[in-house]
Amino acid sequence: MSGFLLRQVKLSQPQLASLLQHQCRAEASTSSSATVVQNNPVVLDNRKPAPQIDADRMRMHPRIGNREIVGYGLKGKPEYFDLVMFPCPSIRWEADSPAIAELRKKEKGDWKQLSTAEKKQLYRSSFRQTFEEFTAPTGIWKWAIGWTLLSIAGATLAYDGWRRICYRFEGPDSMKDAKLKKQLEYHIAARQGPMTGLASKWDYETGTWKK
Amino acid sequence: MAHLFRTVFIQSLSKTTRPMWSTVQRNMSSHNKETDEEFDERWKAYFDRPKIDGWDIRQGINHMNRLDLIPEPEIISACLQACRRVNDHSLAVRYLETIRYKSNAISKQVWPWILQEIRPTLDKIGVSTPEDLGYDKPELALKSVDDM
Repeated sequence: MSGFLLRQVKLSQPQLASLLQHQCRAEASTSSSATVVQNNPVVLDNRKPAPQIDADRMRMHPRIGNREIVGYGLKGKPEYFDLVMFPCPSIRWEADSPAIAELRKKEKGDWKQLSTAEKKQLYRSSFRQTFEEFTAPTGIWKWAIGWTLLSIAGATLAYDGWRRICYRFEGPDSMKDAKLKKQLEYHIAARQGPMTGLASKWDYETGTWKK
Repeated sequence: MAHLFRTVFIQSLSKTTRPMWSTVQRNMSSHNKETDEEFDERWKAYFDRPKIDGWDIRQGINHMNRLDLIPEPEIISACLQACRRVNDHSLAVRYLETIRYKSNAISKQVWPWILQEIRPTLDKIGVSTPEDLGYDKPELALKSVDDM
């Protein structure tokens, strides 16, 4: 039907896309991939171009390849995602290889006949990571704390270095030896620290330091 | 009747709240007037449709996952049976993983209880739990998408 439309009627791209979108929604329904695999005598090969043009695939084919579109997903775009909030992505993770097509046929029967290995294979074909895998702790907190402390240390050292090297200026006049000596004489004359401090060490009768 | 007078009398004396001895539910918000049973029935009917397809199951799962609740075991069973009808075992396992993750966020006791409640359905359909497949611990160490 899509081929007929493309040949006979000259529709613009958005009109064609919306027309095919309705068809796509009707067809991309069950997970048994009946419409996708059986229409071709050859089972889907990832190296070959996409078998069926529909609106979503028209938009996204180079990105999603031959993978089956199975749901609405996050915003209606056929993209794969592993999210805790939206468990079911809109496309399968892998395209149907012949082995998986066989397993899908077996899946239509009794599920108790499927072995654990086969079930795991089916799961990995539909999904990239399990919940435990994409919610596993990443250990980034160690990285974050380490780099925070390193950058604080680096900034402190840089500031100190700059102060020592670049931000130097001559000391004030009052820190020179002659002025300091005069200041000391004034302190002693004013009896600063008479009990236990400076003046208590000065002998006022002889005019020298106490022995 | 005497009990009613007595409670009103006590209420007039002290500012105690009236005990809820009726089954009328009072909603604090004005928009959602659905009871819990109606909610359960609605979702069970959604998944019990005989011709449901994988698209609608995924829509339902995604929508219900956003709600601030863990579904009742009846709803979980209905969804698993819907997965059986569309022949998608991986979807059923994914759904169980969702429930497991959500319930472990609350308490470690919820998930064993849920498993116990849906065990008849699991045995009848033959769905493996995540623990059966070894997916209660991470299996592959793949790079996170955020790091690419």
